[in-house]
Amino acid sequence: MTFEPKQTTERVLALAALVVAALGPVIFNDYWVDAILTQVFIVGIAAASLIFLAAYGGMISLAQTALMGSAGFMIGNMVTVGEGGGESKGLTLGWDPTLSLVLALIGTTLLGMIFGAVASRSFGIYFLMITLTFSVITFYFVGQVTIVSGFSGIGGIDRYTPGFVGDIVTDRYRLYYIALGVALGVYALIRYVGRTPFGVSLQGIRDEHVRMTSLGYVVPLHRMLAFGFAAFLASLAGILLVWWQGQIAPGDVGLGATIDLLIVAVIGGLGRIEGAWIGALAFIVINNYIRDSWLTELLDTLRIGGSFNTIIGVVFLLIVVLSPDGLMGLWDRAWSTVRRPRGGSGVTVASPAQHG
Amino acid sequence: MSRLSRRWKLILPLGVLAVTASVLVSTSIAASRASAGEIRVAIMTDCKGAFGFGYEIDIGGAQAALAQYAGGKVKNPKKPSAGMTGIKAGGKNVRIVGYGCGDDTVPTAVKETRRLMEQLRADVMIGPLSGDEAVYVARYAKSHPTKTFIIGTAGSQDPTLQLAQPNVFRYHGDGAQWNAGTGEIAYKKLGWRNAAIIMDDYSFGWTSAAGLIADFCAIGGKITKRVYPPLNTTDYSSYVQQLPAPDTVDGYFWVVGGTGTAASLKAFEQQYGALKPSQHIGNLFFAFLGADKVVAPKVVGSYVGGFGTGPGLKTRAAKAYEAVVAKHYPGLNGGNYADGFVYNYYNAAWALVQGLTKSGGQLGKALQNALPRTLKPGYQVTNNGVLRLDRNRQAIQDQYPLQVVKNGDAIGTAVVGYVPNVDQSFGGLFKKTSPPPGRTQPPCVKKSMPWQGKIKVVTNGVITNQTLK
Repeated sequence: MTFEPKQTTERVLALAALVVAALGPVIFNDYWVDAILTQVFIVGIAAASLIFLAAYGGMISLAQTALMGSAGFMIGNMVTVGEGGGESKGLTLGWDPTLSLVLALIGTTLLGMIFGAVASRSFGIYFLMITLTFSVITFYFVGQVTIVSGFSGIGGIDRYTPGFVGDIVTDRYRLYYIALGVALGVYALIRYVGRTPFGVSLQGIRDEHVRMTSLGYVVPLHRMLAFGFAAFLASLAGILLVWWQGQIAPGDVGLGATIDLLIVAVIGGLGRIEGAWIGALAFIVINNYIRDSWLTELLDTLRIGGSFNTIIGVVFLLIVVLSPDGLMGLWDRAWSTVRRPRGGSGVTVASPAQHG
Repeated sequence: MSRLSRRWKLILPLGVLAVTASVLVSTSIAASRASAGEIRVAIMTDCKGAFGFGYEIDIGGAQAALAQYAGGKVKNPKKPSAGMTGIKAGGKNVRIVGYGCGDDTVPTAVKETRRLMEQLRADVMIGPLSGDEAVYVARYAKSHPTKTFIIGTAGSQDPTLQLAQPNVFRYHGDGAQWNAGTGEIAYKKLGWRNAAIIMDDYSFGWTSAAGLIADFCAIGGKITKRVYPPLNTTDYSSYVQQLPAPDTVDGYFWVVGGTGTAASLKAFEQQYGALKPSQHIGNLFFAFLGADKVVAPKVVGSYVGGFGTGPGLKTRAAKAYEAVVAKHYPGLNGGNYADGFVYNYYNAAWALVQGLTKSGGQLGKALQNALPRTLKPGYQVTNNGVLRLDRNRQAIQDQYPLQVVKNGDAIGTAVVGYVPNVDQSFGGLFKKTSPPPGRTQPPCVKKSMPWQGKIKVVTNGVITNQTLK
């Protein structure tokens, strides 16, 4: 076994990050644990589903936010209770939370496969537009079909969790560890799937779909299944999201949220799965702190427009221009610059930027 | 790629990262600085979305009260969000830790509320601005009983009726209350017996429509058709098509907001010709929130539901309130201080100062117990100008139906009626256990309303003894 300094450094850093994450409630204050890091894990899972499709399948999907939200709306409609001071919005079916959880995961995966079946024969900008359409349809469906939500959304969902999850309303550390565990599971699962024959052939389709077709692979089926798998990952994020914020509303699947997730993925880097959580951390921390910063005040005084969106826009632009592979790409480049004789990475997959 | 450019492609992004990180670290250190014993207040409003224009107006309203009653020093009278220093109440320093920037959607309200209450560690929130946001804040309040929430301006019914948390206060009416009396005007002054209603398909649209429907039906009117276009519709022709034709109905109630107000009226004009003012009544979207420029000129002469304020009302308290706002923030909201955005945030902050004074600067339960159950705001006339909260801490407020009028070239509103003491329940129609307003809620029923037959005519801003006939 040869010694790979970069790989070893990454493993050490990953282990350190894991230790810090595991000790999160000891190291960080409650706000950081509950509002920042838990959210990072959840948004990271959704971004990972997007990056999986981009990195392994060459598909940049704008439907992941919609799929994430769909899982949230499904479980929200299924678990909440209307009677006796319960919720006033949604179907309020009052079903068993464990059953609802399973049904929401299956339902969203199937929805993803339907989306995937429609989009699987499209490439590049057409694929992007079709997935954007899914996102818009979902937004208007839940906003306008008021029986399932309406613009106010469904609340109180976090009160109805399965027995094995327990009380996450008062015990927020519990939700933190659940989100951390699911995030690790999702990371491991994507790494595993990427190495299976399915994952390898998916990467083949990403690089040369015409050649793969001539080799006998059913390209649309592969892409549809990949979309279904990504929808399953997004549904996990959706379930955690409704547990975390207690409710779900059309704004969670709106155009703004869709673009935000794409920005998270691009900032992190569309080439490596780890980028999902790095991007989520950067985005959420900037979102939380830049608003009250002197920089915002300065821009505001200069009448340049100091809103958070302006600053995140500039950061996004700089990253796209200077490091198209996001923060993970920057890391990779730093290594290759420092060590001219190149170091390898076991997990780098080709950038989707060239594949669209 | 040359070695130099490779370096720069690494150094530049790293530089950007370093600058961003240093800004964030310095901000987080600044945010965590808190001197002991100070009271931390957050003002939550919208800076984006349909009500984004209300940002400075809301903050100005709240801070005018803090300047007047708690010694706050205005930093910039033209820009309320520049902040305020020197606020003292209950013997303690009060610091405004942050301004929330919502966009009238729930997800942003979630993030902003948590940022203000947890990251910036506010003890009290004045806000939020819109209906759906207030529903979320009331849910949030349930799991944060030590924090206190005084709603800024929100028209949804749920926060103080279905949810009704003990740490949530609202010193103004909900969307239904604002429209009290308007149905009676349609019935008595315009002779309407059958009417159709077109309403935005979301919580504020439903609540506002509920006020018109309940009031009109209570006195004997019938709603023959309810049409509910989705929010942000651009082409209303198909919805106008669903409305009964003008010769089959006495009139129409319009509860369509934002850019939809003008668009829906235009679709109606295209379908049926020029609008006849006596056949159309709007909610506050006919006169407030920017409608004065675009919508009002189309409907001169039409009656309009109010906003809990009395524009042009010539009472001593109204003039005193307007003078206070003008003193601290001259020209706020174009000098239109009789706007719910200014008035409601003002009263919320004023109530907070009274509460803190009474509790001696104590927070949590002590403050919630000390927050006033009565207030003497500018446009309250009944009970010698004393506004009362009900047991859900929701205001029982006088309301003022309006009419769009033309004075020379200027188009504005005039108060036409004074509806005393409007409560949230509409004479028991809305209860904690009743379904909140919706597409078909409330049903159209004839019943007695506490203010029925007691509406006084207002002429030139003066409340007369004449009852509306």
